[in-house]
Amino acid sequence: MTIIVAILQAVLLVTLAPLFSGITRKIRAKMHSRKGTSIMQDYYDLAKLWRRCEVKEGGSGIISRLTPPIFLGSFILVAAGLPLVMQACPVPFLGDIITVLYLMALPRFMFALGSIDSAGSYTAIGGVRELLVGVLVEPSLILVLFVAAIAAGSTNLGIMANAVGTLQAYPFVAIVVAGVACAMACYIEMGKLPFDLAEAEQEIQEGPLAAYSGPSLAMIKLGVSVKQLVVASLFVAIFLPFGAATTAAPLDLLVGLVSFLFKLLIVMLIASVIENSVMRARYKYLGRYTWFVVGIASLSLVFLVIGI
Amino acid sequence: MFSYPLVNVLGACLIITSMMVVLARTGRAAAFLYSFQSLMLVGVLASLGFVTGSTELFTWSATAFVTKVVLVPAILLFTLKKIGKDAQADLPPKLNPMKSVALVAVEVFVCFVAVSSIDLPTALEVKPTLAVSLAHFFIGLTCIVIQRSIFRQIFGYCLMENGSHVTLALLAPQAPELVEIGVATDAIFAVVILAVLVWRMAHYAHTLDADDLCELKG
Repeated sequence: MTIIVAILQAVLLVTLAPLFSGITRKIRAKMHSRKGTSIMQDYYDLAKLWRRCEVKEGGSGIISRLTPPIFLGSFILVAAGLPLVMQACPVPFLGDIITVLYLMALPRFMFALGSIDSAGSYTAIGGVRELLVGVLVEPSLILVLFVAAIAAGSTNLGIMANAVGTLQAYPFVAIVVAGVACAMACYIEMGKLPFDLAEAEQEIQEGPLAAYSGPSLAMIKLGVSVKQLVVASLFVAIFLPFGAATTAAPLDLLVGLVSFLFKLLIVMLIASVIENSVMRARYKYLGRYTWFVVGIASLSLVFLVIGI
Repeated sequence: MFSYPLVNVLGACLIITSMMVVLARTGRAAAFLYSFQSLMLVGVLASLGFVTGSTELFTWSATAFVTKVVLVPAILLFTLKKIGKDAQADLPPKLNPMKSVALVAVEVFVCFVAVSSIDLPTALEVKPTLAVSLAHFFIGLTCIVIQRSIFRQIFGYCLMENGSHVTLALLAPQAPELVEIGVATDAIFAVVILAVLVWRMAHYAHTLDADDLCELKG
């Protein structure tokens, strides 16, 4: 039964990802006083790319070919393991924070490898930027998840969600501060301004994408949208599990699904409003912002240690 | 509802609000945040009063409300208005404010290690808050060291003072009113004197930058 839930929620996130991406694009257009494209535009783009033939760069090897499916596949796996509609992991071994963190690090690693595998010189610079964001934000995310794990007494995301949902996670303030830090870290991971622009594949920022075409580009584009949803869901699943089903009864699951979609929509709306009210930072200055996240994350650790 | 965990949660709020005072971009925002922080302090005093059953603490919280939530921020805002465009009050701090959050976290941890060896019967349940109150001394010091604007350095003093107030309430909840009057009036007069000094300096030197003011000596 829970396996079905896992598969369904992965399918749900993959099918919804282009829609959410379209909604954020529409919001950006409205905030720029433009009419903007349809919110279904991402589906059209993906369908068009899927029909195109694939062109490979001369000199690129197996890594370039493996990157798109691994990039998309790892995020789908993470999506299947998160406690989204239930306050328990549908597949327990996929719901461990260590597994989740590694599954989120693997696409970044492959992305960076793919960028140096390409013959173009700009792609490598884009890969460096991607890695830099990872280096700056992942320690905070790990620290925050560590705090949540200690407070809940388990590294399993389902048990953590349950402990937070039933307000049994012990140092209360530590969890709240960790939630704030996690929201910030997840925002940076989502690849939004001022840190990154996920759609900027023609620029240096998402440089590795310049080397891809056809179905590979479609897979990576879909992967980037799925990544945004998965990272937002990770935050929602651990720190906002309220409303998620506590039992596997069909009605509870339905309520859990509706509340999850509602929470996800709110989080994505807030993220897109923030994104459109800031300017893009030069990558040299990224560290200034991430220091703040590190600070809040370490404050939550200190609160955990002193027990408030 | 009124128990030691509530005191500790309010203590955590003290740390968060004092960090916001340090991080605030403008002097005006810092004054309002300081007022909010003092409100948390009043909450700590009142909840401690409920927990320990000490009536003195209620009078303390009332006087703290008048002096710290209302009077001190009002004096600071008045000073800011007096300075006006005479000098630039909102100078950026010396240290990247984002890094000062990590610094505050380290300070709180060090203070917790320091107070963990204190074995006083009154401090058993409220050790986290005791650590917080001790940490306020260092947060105030941080504020004084990293801020270039002498107006913002006043907030450092105010934060230290709030910390000493909480420490006193935690360790001596039955202390007579006289002690408390000493602490409260101390804060008011010090802030008045500092505010007058800042205003005079701004009027004379047209700057609030501590680095520039160093050249005035002699």
